[in-house]
Amino acid sequence: MGASSTLSKIVMICILLIFVVWTVIPVMWIVSLSFKPYVEWRTPSLLPRKPTIENYLTLFSPQSVAVFIAYTAILEPIAGPLANSLIVAAVATVIAVIIGFFTAYGASRYNTPGPFTLFFTLMTRMLPPATFLTPLMVYFTTLHLLDNLAGLILLYSATTVTYAIWILKGYIDALPIEWEEAALLEGAKPTEVLWKVVIPLIRPGLVVSGLFIFLMAWTELLFALVLTSVKAVTLPVQVSKYVTAVGALWGVQAAAALLGSIIPVIIGYMIQKHLITGFTFGLVRA
Amino acid sequence: MPENPPKSIKVLSSLPLNLLLNGVLIVPFIIMIYLAFLKWSPLMGMNWWEAPFYGLQNFARAVSDARFLSALGRTALFVAVSVPLEFVLGLTLAYFMQREFVGKKYTVSLLIYPLMLPPVVVATVFYLFFQPYGPVNNIFLKYLVGEKALDIYWFLDRNLAFITIIIAEIWQWTPFMFLILYSGLSAVPKRLVEAAEVLGASEWKIFWKIRLPLIKQLITIAIILRCLEAFKVFDYIYVMTGGGPGTATESISLYIYRLAIMYSDISYAAAVSLIVLAIIFAVSRIAIKFLLERR
Amino acid sequence: MGNEKDKKFDPSRRQFITTIGTAIVAIGIGYAIGYLTKPAEVVEKAIERTVTVTRTVTATGTPTPTPTPTTPIPGLSEVAVRAINGVKDLIERGVVPRGATLRILHVSGSKAQLEKAIELWSKYVPEIKVELVTMGTEPDVYSKSMSEAVTKTGQYDIITIFSTWLGDTVEAGLAKDITEYFNKYDPGYVGACAPIEPLGSYTTLYKGRRYALTLDSDVFTLTYRKDLINDPKYKEEFRSIYGYDLKVPDTWEEVIDIARFFTEKRLTSPSGGRVWGAYFYVEPAFAAYITFTNIFLEAGGIYFDLETMDPKIDSPEGRYAFDILLKLKPYMPPEAISASWADLYDKFIKGESVLTAAWPSLTKMAISSPDSVVRDKTGTALMPGVRLEIGGKPTIVRAAPNPVNWVGIVNSYGKYPEAAYLFLQFMTAPDIGLEVILSGVILDLFRLCWFTDPAYRGKSIQGYGEEFVDAYMEALKISYPDFIIRGGPEYAGKLTTAVNAVVSGTMDPETALSSVAAEWDSITKRYGVSEQLEAWRALAKLFPDPVQQAWKAKGYIK
Repeated sequence: MGASSTLSKIVMICILLIFVVWTVIPVMWIVSLSFKPYVEWRTPSLLPRKPTIENYLTLFSPQSVAVFIAYTAILEPIAGPLANSLIVAAVATVIAVIIGFFTAYGASRYNTPGPFTLFFTLMTRMLPPATFLTPLMVYFTTLHLLDNLAGLILLYSATTVTYAIWILKGYIDALPIEWEEAALLEGAKPTEVLWKVVIPLIRPGLVVSGLFIFLMAWTELLFALVLTSVKAVTLPVQVSKYVTAVGALWGVQAAAALLGSIIPVIIGYMIQKHLITGFTFGLVRA
Repeated sequence: MPENPPKSIKVLSSLPLNLLLNGVLIVPFIIMIYLAFLKWSPLMGMNWWEAPFYGLQNFARAVSDARFLSALGRTALFVAVSVPLEFVLGLTLAYFMQREFVGKKYTVSLLIYPLMLPPVVVATVFYLFFQPYGPVNNIFLKYLVGEKALDIYWFLDRNLAFITIIIAEIWQWTPFMFLILYSGLSAVPKRLVEAAEVLGASEWKIFWKIRLPLIKQLITIAIILRCLEAFKVFDYIYVMTGGGPGTATESISLYIYRLAIMYSDISYAAAVSLIVLAIIFAVSRIAIKFLLERR
Repeated sequence: MGNEKDKKFDPSRRQFITTIGTAIVAIGIGYAIGYLTKPAEVVEKAIERTVTVTRTVTATGTPTPTPTPTTPIPGLSEVAVRAINGVKDLIERGVVPRGATLRILHVSGSKAQLEKAIELWSKYVPEIKVELVTMGTEPDVYSKSMSEAVTKTGQYDIITIFSTWLGDTVEAGLAKDITEYFNKYDPGYVGACAPIEPLGSYTTLYKGRRYALTLDSDVFTLTYRKDLINDPKYKEEFRSIYGYDLKVPDTWEEVIDIARFFTEKRLTSPSGGRVWGAYFYVEPAFAAYITFTNIFLEAGGIYFDLETMDPKIDSPEGRYAFDILLKLKPYMPPEAISASWADLYDKFIKGESVLTAAWPSLTKMAISSPDSVVRDKTGTALMPGVRLEIGGKPTIVRAAPNPVNWVGIVNSYGKYPEAAYLFLQFMTAPDIGLEVILSGVILDLFRLCWFTDPAYRGKSIQGYGEEFVDAYMEALKISYPDFIIRGGPEYAGKLTTAVNAVVSGTMDPETALSSVAAEWDSITKRYGVSEQLEAWRALAKLFPDPVQQAWKAKGYIK
């Protein structure tokens, strides 16, 4: 027992370490890039020789950083787009997960909506977005949803709800049906069954699909670029502006990307405890 | 379960979904289909509803468009290589994450970090990485093959460029697989695991015979979703290779983007998009029927 | 193929009706959400407006402007005075209300120049505010412009675009025909301070009418390492190998020789990188067509037949251009094939290339950037040419590319087109214009008096250096336009992809030439041959003299 399990432990740690290093190196690169001054942006060194925080300063108050005068930087501080992204992603996630959950439950237990509709929702992810942009723009213009956070929210919810549906359906399918039947027999209303029985048991599904949808809304670029111009600019659009007509501000972009990833990281960290549901069916039953 | 769904469930499970999808997506989708049968481009100066009918000519043009067909094949190859790799790597990681250890939460957070970055940023990072002045050549390969490493120009060779795209894709999306598999595996009922352990099964066996089969559905969904997304790969290619050298790494999404946005050839782009949609639709319908609906 | 729209309805009528019903309800809700969450001012603008875009095509040749008399303002050029008086008049007559805002869409990263223009404007016309909105890179501005052409929201009054897109924006109905304003207010396009011809014409005219005012010039000059070319040791060596003096190259063949000479020396730059003999654009994103067309036109090639609009790229001149590029390739850095346009700049200012060509900003960067190691080693000359026999005499035909070139257009769907035009006139006036250009990077000199008039020349020299100023003026005179016809970006794009493919070795020149010709032909047919021919003919007339003469010599024009 002893020797082989230690060996397997070592192997495991080694492989894990490789994965961690593999993940970390580009991240470290971004971090170091965000602290590198302009001259070092194109050097291969992993660490900045003269670390500086001017990239971050530019993000928050673009006018203040003298070094970029010849490459005059961006007009807007990053606070606005950051807030916009947060609102859009949060609301879209809530909408998509709620709707997705109800649909998934109906589909799993009662076959409503039918399999065709379910499959149709997948179609929202099948289409390469470029051609969809023009008709969408025309449509949103008539609805006054251009350059409007509400427009983005609706769009993101609609295009990501399928993730929630399919992931949650997977979880609900795996749930033994007896619990719900028992609850129904004891006179609970169907909606109560949902609330009291099903939801707590599929928490991992809820948080995982919620996280993915949040991430998709948080990092989506193409539609946001086309549908916003002044007031509803989101974070990825703002970050894209750091590749400018006079050259790319790599360091500033790295800083923006890092800042932008803070909120998702916090969410990702916090949901981890919900990934374990503590299924203790059998033992509690008795 | 009662045969007929209770009214509340019936309404809740279809009405909101209908409202959302129909309200937001159907109209543009129909417009797009209509555009594919027209001969229209914004450059023609007329409104799209005034444009002349063109029948199936856009579709005919697409079928004989070599650049379209090669982009299609290339993208399919990309998916066929990347997704299985992501799956295997993700599964390995998920397997190792089964047990508790110190700092596990931080490790998991770190491992899923790539998902938190906009794909454009990841593309930019790898673009810088694979430049001749970047760390891949100057630091990593130098240790492996010495000075010769400096002569490798990743984006010049069609195969090397393709590899860089795959690397960027895998780096960013393996955590997706990992997360889904990890959360699925964690949701396996403890009593089953404990029962097996009592019977003396090894961890490996438990993994293969108990945990995995229980989440087969989830695995299938994850793979299908990931395939759909990978097929639309755009950011990495746009930033890193520009589709080059020549059009050697041009994915179907990039080609359609060029058609629609840069060449304003919207009708043709719509036709191409519909063809792509039809193909993906057919393939995934078959895959799902085969894998999922045979419970 | 296209039948999936049936599949999405569950096979029951009830479902069908439900779907349609919810669609209608949802659309109504969506409309309400949009209406309620939109800021008030934009809602008002979006109220239906029928816009008739008349694109009357008149004969070429611009009539001389007959401006209305104006009251002078001390210290300001007449052009600017006319603009300001014009605006004040509009305000007076109530055409433009006080406190109105004009919005400009511009590319990001270079706000300094436009901000300068806005600052000066607000000194004289505080009643009308001007707001600057920036977008990412040029493709983003292009796609936003095309979106605006389709959605007609009027959210921008002025858009700064590349001259390359002029054809597209005019045909899409976005760029307003400003010939009328041009004649009424006279922005100074005639006389000693006019924008240097032919640039002044080809960047602002389309099918004979005015649609833009030029804000910029983007002519390429040959930038070279003075110190290396003039070094006596190298001169001796070069002469002994190649048999003629080492000098600024006059022809592309000489470029190849010089590039080879320096590349084979394997010199190292101060930063430790290898020094390459040459670096000309062959990158895939958009710039490869620049070098190709330069050589092609100088050799006497013409893009399209002037009678039939047949592509004439698959010709001896096309083959010659590819021949030169392939011979030049080994002496250029390998990254030239894949890196972005900024890499060329980078290499030169780090001292890693000897002969190169790019926009004026390259020289500005070379002489003033803190990271430049070639500050006093930068020389400027005209682009190398091609030896042809013109009228029986051997001549070197030289032409300089003028790719992109920022111009300002007025949005047809904007609320205050006349005021928008006047802003453009103001910011491009002889005095204001120079001040604007000297406060930033991406807009460059274009008026003749800025080079010759002592009142302005000093300032120009401060910004660019004397050698550059003189060479650049000559370059402007032989500059040629981009594909300023409808589909311009697409024609250029297809050519760029092909050039990059050939230089990177993935396609052979013959196939490339015929495939580009075929692709160009299909683009032309898509938009209508006679339409395109009309635009092409008007544009061809504006090409610089040397090129026109070469075309004559080759028989492409009579």
